[in-house]
Amino acid sequence: MNTLVLLLILFFGGGLITYFAYKISKIIGDILIALIGLTGAYLFFQIDIHSLVSIKLAGLRLGLGFNGFSWIFGLLVAILSPLALIYSIPYMKGRERLEWFYMLFLFVIGAMFGILMARDWVSLFVFWEIMTWSSYLIVIYSRGKGLDKVGLKYIFFSAVGAYSLLTAIVLIGATIKSLYIGDLINFFGVLSLKNQLLIGILLIIGFGVKAAVMPLHVWAPDAYSSAPMSFTSLFSGAMSKMGIYGLILVVINMYLNHGISSVGHWLAWFGAITAVMGTFYAIIQDDAKKLLAWSSVAQLGYIVTGIGVGTKLAVFAAIFLALLHGAFKGTLFMAVGAVERQAGTTKFSELRALIRKMPYTFISTLIAVIALAGIPPIAGFIGKWMLYESLITDGHVWLVVLLFLASTAGFLYSYRILFGLFLGQEEDDYKDVKEAPVLMTIPMLLMALFLVVAGTLPGFVFKPIAQSMEALGFADITYQMSILTNSWGDMVDMTYVAMALGVTFVVFLIVITLVNRRGTRYVTTKDIHTAGEPPSEDDNYHFALDFFKPFERAIAPVFKYSMTRIYNVIGRGVEDFFQFVRRFYTGNAQTYALYVVIFFAILLLLAKQIF
Amino acid sequence: MNYVLNDRESAKIVEFIKNFARKNSLWVLAYGTGCGAIEIPPTMTSRYDAERFSVRGAATPRQADVLLITGYLSVKTLKRVIRSYEQMQDPKYVIGFGSCTINGGMYWDSYNTIKQLDLYIPVDVYINGCMPRPEAVLAGFAKLQELIGRGQANGWRHYKENLEWYRQNQRKLIKNWKMPDYNW
Amino acid sequence: MTFWQTLGAVLLTILIAFISGLFYMGIRRKVIARIQNRYGPPLHQNFLDVMKLWSKESNIHHGIMQHLAPLWMIAMGVSTLLFIPIVYNSTFWANFTFKGDLILLLYLMVFGSLGFALGAGQTGNPNSAIGVTRGLSQMVGFEIPWVMALIAVMIQYKTTSLTDLVAWQQQHHTWIAFQQPFAFLAALLVIPAMFRYSPYDIVIAPSELASGPPSEFGGKYMGLMMSSGSIFMFAKLALIVDIFLGGATSWLWMIIKTLSLYMIPVLWSAINPRYRTEQAIWSLWRWPLIFAVLGLIIASV
Repeated sequence: MNTLVLLLILFFGGGLITYFAYKISKIIGDILIALIGLTGAYLFFQIDIHSLVSIKLAGLRLGLGFNGFSWIFGLLVAILSPLALIYSIPYMKGRERLEWFYMLFLFVIGAMFGILMARDWVSLFVFWEIMTWSSYLIVIYSRGKGLDKVGLKYIFFSAVGAYSLLTAIVLIGATIKSLYIGDLINFFGVLSLKNQLLIGILLIIGFGVKAAVMPLHVWAPDAYSSAPMSFTSLFSGAMSKMGIYGLILVVINMYLNHGISSVGHWLAWFGAITAVMGTFYAIIQDDAKKLLAWSSVAQLGYIVTGIGVGTKLAVFAAIFLALLHGAFKGTLFMAVGAVERQAGTTKFSELRALIRKMPYTFISTLIAVIALAGIPPIAGFIGKWMLYESLITDGHVWLVVLLFLASTAGFLYSYRILFGLFLGQEEDDYKDVKEAPVLMTIPMLLMALFLVVAGTLPGFVFKPIAQSMEALGFADITYQMSILTNSWGDMVDMTYVAMALGVTFVVFLIVITLVNRRGTRYVTTKDIHTAGEPPSEDDNYHFALDFFKPFERAIAPVFKYSMTRIYNVIGRGVEDFFQFVRRFYTGNAQTYALYVVIFFAILLLLAKQIF
Repeated sequence: MNYVLNDRESAKIVEFIKNFARKNSLWVLAYGTGCGAIEIPPTMTSRYDAERFSVRGAATPRQADVLLITGYLSVKTLKRVIRSYEQMQDPKYVIGFGSCTINGGMYWDSYNTIKQLDLYIPVDVYINGCMPRPEAVLAGFAKLQELIGRGQANGWRHYKENLEWYRQNQRKLIKNWKMPDYNW
Repeated sequence: MTFWQTLGAVLLTILIAFISGLFYMGIRRKVIARIQNRYGPPLHQNFLDVMKLWSKESNIHHGIMQHLAPLWMIAMGVSTLLFIPIVYNSTFWANFTFKGDLILLLYLMVFGSLGFALGAGQTGNPNSAIGVTRGLSQMVGFEIPWVMALIAVMIQYKTTSLTDLVAWQQQHHTWIAFQQPFAFLAALLVIPAMFRYSPYDIVIAPSELASGPPSEFGGKYMGLMMSSGSIFMFAKLALIVDIFLGGATSWLWMIIKTLSLYMIPVLWSAINPRYRTEQAIWSLWRWPLIFAVLGLIIASV
């Protein structure tokens, strides 16, 4: 049987089998999902990139098969999903309705592969809806307080996306008489401008919902933070990239390859504003999950900006950042999940100083946060560098300024994650917290290791990206193992950066450890300078509340405009309108008689014009 | 050149360099609850400019070298002084400032001030007077620098070696002894 | 250039930057003392301070991150310095200047502060954490006009490489400060904030936060911090000199130019009180931002 079909059968059939396996025994189920995840990754690497399965169904030509470009996103799913599944085993231990959760989890993974394989709009839409509904059910899986509202928000925006996707597909079918994605891309130039804009923008709305672009991002922070963290690592890490995949399809393949760049530029502006607003909202959160969720929105903003600008380096950077975002945000959500499982909460105002208790979680969080903040020599910097250079060399100066604002302000919440969870004064409440189980730390550490290696030798990651870029229609993609170059010929050699930082660090590490080694001692975090006052047992001077209050005050005007508030206003307006309409239906027969009379009176008055 | 430094001589030279640096860089933690604190601002600022003798203020005990006790200490403040002193990094020096730290001064018969600072933390230099003028304070610093240069300001070592004795004296006065344990 | 020559040049560069940085700090203390009608400490006072801190016989730390904290700083200081061209057209002093560009430097320059912030966070001292939040907020404040000024320069000269900028200025016998006055003005106004001198010393704020982030650091940790601070300070000054003031053809010129540039934040800080955090951000987003926007508009049309 074809590997492509096998891959889909593995996840959809495996999902159903898992359901019954968990009914029988939890252990069998656990082993099964780990096996399914790993087999999926194995099968993915066996796939021949040129293989294609086509079916004729009711006169429609349907096709399944990767191309060079969707393969790169498949790679992300294939690597992230087994890690998330393995992580999930200890994380979800003891929760109820596991069979339900894992079935949906596997469905989501299968649907993502399906979306990437889909060569026609119908199967893409079907898999898209499977993904949306399965993830919706996982979001409301926890049955927490206020979750119905979160779920409603998610499903409402997904429905908006789905309808615009469906409308676009119907339009495509009507105009070019083919539902093949490749046909649309090829004949896009032939369409009238009106159709081009209509189809494209409907598709952008459809995909933009999943990519959480600015006016459509409202669902994301709540949905990301409400789902179980093992799923959110995939939800934010890989699932949001389906939206990015779709956006690249529309902006690059359809518009840019047919000479329309203005749509992309508008999208780039939306992306940059998303990045800034997402960052600002991330800064003021008190919950680590919420913070990461907003930060996901912000990071997706960078990627969307890169896609929108659409130059070679920008798209390259966007795809690179998309892959990296999968890795570091996956790690961060996993780490926060580990903290939640071990310490019982993710609120910054309650957590304190877990570094000595959870060192491995801390290390992976540290590396992921450095990647998130884009500081060399970890890989995040490379993505940022390429994005900025592409924007500067292409003259998009104001976009760069916005992105710089977002990324500098990003340092604030980056520090907040590390400080709020792991640093600060220790408290006895968390004395007995232990490191997370091995199955949870290993996926995190593996991804952190990837981030470190990709920071110095990004060529490994560049290679598949360059292939996918060629599949997208960009010519002459050159890359080197560790040297980054922009179109002005300026370059950065990451080995030198890593060497300068690393050698200095190690040399002085030796110096500072050896100098006066006997006199150096560890003291507890209670033994601090407090103007002489010895803190008593139950005193804790940890600083967590209103962490960035001065900064909030400085940017207060920005918070006046929130998309949620605007939607609320619109929602209230719509509600008021329907309330008003409802008043016509008084239930009184006499009033209805009056309406009839008025209607005829108007008809009479207008009779001259009508007849 | 067949003259090779032996261990003792080289240690001597290293010690000399260290002491030279230490005496020429005194960062002062001024413990100013007594009335003597009023003499510190003129000492540090333009009028007398202690900084020209390499004496400057430090913000926290971790960074400080000299603990300047300006005036009397009550039982309550003694506890804070001990904690601050123990948080300082070796080598550290103490200057007792004013008569109150020597023999209680005008509080010699008070029920809640300590009479002799020496019993609780080791004092390297006393500056007598009530109040000592900034000139006297500078003279005190000069004396301390001289002692450090000669390697004789060893109060901190004395404190470490006789910790038991100091603790006894301290506990005699401080009834609610709730101090974290130090592992040295 | 053999490996040993490169290594020698690197070590010499670090050493000269270290020594001149410490002397600059000494000059700063002296200048401020003279402004306050004092005699002031000797010029080499900071060397004695560093020596004393290294010769401390006991050192405490609150955990591994505090132990590592000054190392991030020194790693940042040294690598920033190595990617900045010091002497124009010299193969011996080239260091790593052909291996990096301005965007890299912008990000390298926050590496140490964030690493140090982690160490400060681990001490458990609330003052440290407050200082860090202030520092990060202020960083958002000054980074925006600063980055805009740099982008204005970059797009005007179509390069992001410092070496190219220096070469252009040397070949045309002019300074970018004259070519791009608004960008230079913006950069000039944010320098006090970059150095965290008054009125932007909200991070250290000795009388308010007990010296903020480093309040639990003493002994060798503080000593390494001061050493890396001097190197980093020299690197920052050299960076601005390279971008706006034409670079230098010899070490002597570099030292003259950096020292004169350094006097601007020093003199400005000597007569200023301290802002509150949001005031600092607003003040950086007023005139510096206006100048930077003007510079950017001029450069992009």
